[in-house]
Amino acid sequence: MSLSHRFGLSKGPMAAALLVLAFLALFLVVPVATVFYTAFVNSDGSLTFGHFMAFFNQPLMREAFFNSLYVAGWSALIASLIAVPLAYFTVRFEFRGALIIQTLGILPLIMPPFVGAVAMQLIFGRSGSLNLLLGEWFGINLPLMEGLNAVIFVEALHYFPFILMNLVVSLRAIDGSMEEAAFNLGSRGFRLFRRIIFPLALPGYVAGTSLVFIKVFDDLGTPLVLGATNMLAPQAYLRITQVGLEDPLGYVISVIIIAFSIAALWLSARVLKGRDYSTLQKGGGSIQKRRLKRGESILAYSWIALVLLLVLSPHIGVLLLSFASVWSFAPLPDGYTLAHYNAVFEDSSGMIANTLLYCGLAAGIDVIIGTAIAYLLLRTRLPGRQWLDWMASAALAIPGIVLAIGLLRTFRGMEIPFTDTMLTSSWVLIMIAYSVRRLPYALRSCVAALQQIHVSLEEAAQSMGANRMRTIQRVVVPLMVGGMLAGFVTSFITAAVELSATIMLVTRESQAPMSYGIYLYMQSPSGRGPGAALGVLAVLAVAIGTYASHLLIERTTRRQAPGRVDNTELQTS
Amino acid sequence: MKKVSVECRNISLSYGKNEILKDLDIVIEPGEFFALLGPSGSGKSTLLRLIAGFNRQSRGQLLIDGKDVSNQPPWERNIGMVFQSYALWPHMTVWDNVAFGLVERKLAREEIRERTEAALALVGLAQFARRRPNELSGGQQQRVALARTIVIEPQVLLLDEPLSNLDKKLRVQMRRELLSLQRRLGITTIFVTHDQEEAMTTADRMAVLDHGVVQQIGSPNTLFDFPVNRFVANFVGTMNVLEGVVKERGSASVLLAVDGVGDIQLPVTDDVPDTARLAASFRPHSVQIDLAGGHGDARYVWLPGLIHGSEFQGEFTRYEVQVGDQHLTVDQSHLAGLSIFPIGAPVAIGLDPGQIRLLAA
Amino acid sequence: MIRLRHLACSLALLGASTAVHAGTVTVITSFPKDLTQAYKNAFERANPGITLEILNKNTVAGIAYVRETPAGQRPDVFWASAPDAFEVLNRDKLLARAPDMANPKVPDKIGSFPINDPGGMYFGQALAGYGIMYNTRYVKANKLTPPVEWKDLLAPEWFGHVGITSPSRSGTMHLTAETILQGEGWDEGWRTLLRMSGNSSAVTERSFGVPDGVNNGQFAAGPVIDFFGLSSKFSKFPVEFVYPSETAIVPANIALIEGAKNAADAKQFIKFTLDQAGQEVLLDPKISRLPVLPYAELAGKIPEGYPDPAEIAKRSKVHFDVDVSQSRYYLVQALYDQTITFRLKELQQATKAIYDAERKLGDKAKSGQAADLLAQARKLTWDPLISAQQAGDADFLKVFAGDKRDSAVSQKITQMEGEWNGRARANYEQAVKLAGQAGAM
Repeated sequence: MSLSHRFGLSKGPMAAALLVLAFLALFLVVPVATVFYTAFVNSDGSLTFGHFMAFFNQPLMREAFFNSLYVAGWSALIASLIAVPLAYFTVRFEFRGALIIQTLGILPLIMPPFVGAVAMQLIFGRSGSLNLLLGEWFGINLPLMEGLNAVIFVEALHYFPFILMNLVVSLRAIDGSMEEAAFNLGSRGFRLFRRIIFPLALPGYVAGTSLVFIKVFDDLGTPLVLGATNMLAPQAYLRITQVGLEDPLGYVISVIIIAFSIAALWLSARVLKGRDYSTLQKGGGSIQKRRLKRGESILAYSWIALVLLLVLSPHIGVLLLSFASVWSFAPLPDGYTLAHYNAVFEDSSGMIANTLLYCGLAAGIDVIIGTAIAYLLLRTRLPGRQWLDWMASAALAIPGIVLAIGLLRTFRGMEIPFTDTMLTSSWVLIMIAYSVRRLPYALRSCVAALQQIHVSLEEAAQSMGANRMRTIQRVVVPLMVGGMLAGFVTSFITAAVELSATIMLVTRESQAPMSYGIYLYMQSPSGRGPGAALGVLAVLAVAIGTYASHLLIERTTRRQAPGRVDNTELQTS
Repeated sequence: MKKVSVECRNISLSYGKNEILKDLDIVIEPGEFFALLGPSGSGKSTLLRLIAGFNRQSRGQLLIDGKDVSNQPPWERNIGMVFQSYALWPHMTVWDNVAFGLVERKLAREEIRERTEAALALVGLAQFARRRPNELSGGQQQRVALARTIVIEPQVLLLDEPLSNLDKKLRVQMRRELLSLQRRLGITTIFVTHDQEEAMTTADRMAVLDHGVVQQIGSPNTLFDFPVNRFVANFVGTMNVLEGVVKERGSASVLLAVDGVGDIQLPVTDDVPDTARLAASFRPHSVQIDLAGGHGDARYVWLPGLIHGSEFQGEFTRYEVQVGDQHLTVDQSHLAGLSIFPIGAPVAIGLDPGQIRLLAA
Repeated sequence: MIRLRHLACSLALLGASTAVHAGTVTVITSFPKDLTQAYKNAFERANPGITLEILNKNTVAGIAYVRETPAGQRPDVFWASAPDAFEVLNRDKLLARAPDMANPKVPDKIGSFPINDPGGMYFGQALAGYGIMYNTRYVKANKLTPPVEWKDLLAPEWFGHVGITSPSRSGTMHLTAETILQGEGWDEGWRTLLRMSGNSSAVTERSFGVPDGVNNGQFAAGPVIDFFGLSSKFSKFPVEFVYPSETAIVPANIALIEGAKNAADAKQFIKFTLDQAGQEVLLDPKISRLPVLPYAELAGKIPEGYPDPAEIAKRSKVHFDVDVSQSRYYLVQALYDQTITFRLKELQQATKAIYDAERKLGDKAKSGQAADLLAQARKLTWDPLISAQQAGDADFLKVFAGDKRDSAVSQKITQMEGEWNGRARANYEQAVKLAGQAGAM
């Protein structure tokens, strides 16, 4: 009995597994290992904890560490405060705001945070629209955009959808009978929420919140743009770019960030273990929807309106800025013009093309690898396949800047075979960095899509004479298309607004994708208008992409809804 | 279609330390409608999937039509399988679902069209060809699944709990249709079920499995009347058991001291086991029940009892009767006008010695 | 199979886009897009067949990048404002000689500052001065006096209205800091820097953060390089720019990198930037830089009211010494960062405490115990941690030149930096206490 036969595998899956492993090893594991190595090694090659000692010796570094935790924690908290009521409204009450809330859930993710940060400075900064008006009318000034507050504000507004969406999903999965049983025993209102509903929805909440925490902890772009440099990620960036790729402290910081992210992920996985409370039974519905009383209605709509306004403020700000002739120390721009859009269309077709190229390829690679891993994970008994999943998902814990540093260091001096270009100065590395970091999203989508497909559908095909490849081709892939597409779009749009790794890897202006282009534009006084215009275009493109994929997914899931197993009729034929 | 035999020789299957199937030996005759019956966890579905090629045996051989197919992947075995969930592909129409196997065999378009039409007509779904699976009822979906398998003219047809998703009335109808279809086509069919009524009403022969071991193979009649052990006895139909120590054993009869009841004398047959304890097994419908104090028919062995519970089932009333320390199930045919014994009523129950099987205790 | 087709497509794309264009010049620069775009357009028009690739990095990151890249793959041209950056590159043997690129019409010096490197390793390409840019609306709304000299920004009413950046992130800021240090001496110069920073509201990440902040009204004023102020004014922002008397006119340089990928075409570009056509590009109001070519050569092309570098250099009180600046390059950056950038909050608090106390005491602040306490507080807040003597000590400066990969060196430096950081914090906190005490009297 051959080895492959023993595990029920033919050569195909084996080869696929090896290819995936090679990709992950080369572009994720090795670069990250390089970072770790450098953090622990002397210039003469000996192992040392000296660099870590140097780190903890510096009060600045300790402070940066504490600040990162502080900001991440507060961002998660404020994001929760925004998201939890919204989630509750959507699921509990029958009202027309549900669609708005869904949109709210997407909008912040579409705006590249660094662009939003600039706009929010204009609206909420010390001399921003809000404070100018408040100063005139009430003589007060809200320090919303001062120091760390600015980072917390922007990040919370940007990331709360993670909590919102996860929470809504897990709230909807609660079987109505859970609630009815509680009613039956006398519980209702807030007590009911606190004792029954929220605990059952906890997995969704924990999943979303831990994700927010990690992403804020790792984020480079926003603190950088807002000038908050005494946090871990900006410090790593600054050290590596200023002192050079040799500076060990940058690597130490990278290791600490990774360690923390992994710890947070692991902790949340522990909390969620065994708490899959999705209990929707056959024939059951989710928790009751109620009508809002008039007073409650006003409260609910006001809260939603407030959040909507906050969430839209960066978008509005950027829109205004893109049309503004001059906007300085005034609530609104002095005048409006189309000149910025002209400038953008002239200059930036290259950047838009670059974004499409890099992000498209990266998303494509992600979907292919994601599907392969999903298939290997769920449909074969390959030993160690769980590791493929973990490796790919671990990319989530690696900050963009760390991956970039690792890639630069690992491939230093290497040329692309058959060409005369260095890998580290070519766009290929940028695309690889995108695809590695976006892989977890695509993977989750593909896994979810494959999980929906009952294995019997494939076995039926096999018993009909289709071998593994034919089965994948005729049954698995068509049924996964919705999920694959969703994964593609998610990968694409998150790559399109990525800045952390981009900043480090772009070596030429002609290589720049839109995100970098916007960042460049923002470096000169006459560039802010065009920068905002480009930002608006980026947001539009991403919004259209998201909407289109949403439609596609809706359509395919409706078409493929599992058959009803309702047998009330007797055949008379 | 050629009728083929299926033979499992010394088949064992283990996952790590778990032995799922233990040394199975089953021969299924060509053209037979064969049932695999057993409780959940008995390994019947595993065996079915092994025949289909989705599981691989650890030891032993599988022969179809005399050829060893143990190493053949599922797509080469030319076996049709109907899954419990029907496994209809939601992204394809009924037509495409049914034509799938033919497309895989790369047949000519005209032939595919003809055969698909014929298959759909056979199951009575010709007008649903353009619909999608999620637009059909459960019964219709099952027919599509069936059509899909028979259109490829498989050597063997495998059915995995095909009726368990249907409600009772539909189940009865569908099993009759299945049987008649099988008779018409003559394909060797193996089907898995946990419902003994289903197996008994349709199968030519059946195998009862428990924890991966074959308990007994035979026709429904044989298994019902002559179960070899208590498991089969209890599984196939309801069985009353009175266990006791053998006080005296003669050539023609045996005296059994039944725990909590008393001594009963029963006739012996050749196959009565030689153990110190025996279990006297008899079916509920073979027991007479009458008011206590009457003069019982001497053909029966009468025991006094008390009505403990009753269930009116329409065609008969099922009583739970307390005899001594034991509780026995007694079925009494019901005719219009016959009243039901109330709870607590003293009764006498009469055992028919000819209907009692003595099994090892 | 679909996958194979995809793979083939991407491979083809790869090949196509990484094919090296024979005529590509890669320029690494900290200059903004307006300038580089204008040069790119002008140069490519004049030299069809050569493409200009711009690599935008701030000066310090640019140096690191050049160092990291192996010879033969490096960018071709380094083009930046800060002359000390070029000294650093030169010292590390990362520049290549190209003396025949120089334009003979360019004078040797501007003020006392040599425009071209005497060794012929790099050339002055444009001139820039350093000064103060302020937002007229902000200044009016907060009733501040428009500043003329650096000292004007140190007044108590300017608390929280100044924007600065750090020398480690900005060649401009480094030069401004050095100008002040050289103009006022080490101790007094640091006092100015610390007081100005105490009045600041933020330390921005890039040098552009300051003019950007002034442009959109985030700060009232800040030190900027002249062309930012002038070009913003041209873009109709409500801002003004002034050259204080302590200023330096310093060349922005351009040089050929050693081990460049395309040295031949690179030299063409360098020559272009130094010729008449290249110099005229600088005069575009959107760019607003000062040319190295004397105005006599560019007669007729100078816009109305354009500043004259020769004039300003004559007026300046500072004779910038590049060697001094270079010798203490890392020290200045490290000291600034540890005592100002990373301790900004505490510095601001100390400054505020002193102002509050002064205001409260009024005349009483001039003498007596309160005055002593205040003087002490001022010393703690605004005196530099390193004395002028130490700053001139060669051995001390050598520490900063060590190899940071060596964990011993790295530890030593970070330990020292940590010390400064800690001491600064303690000083500022103490100052707050003392000022508080003084104010309570």
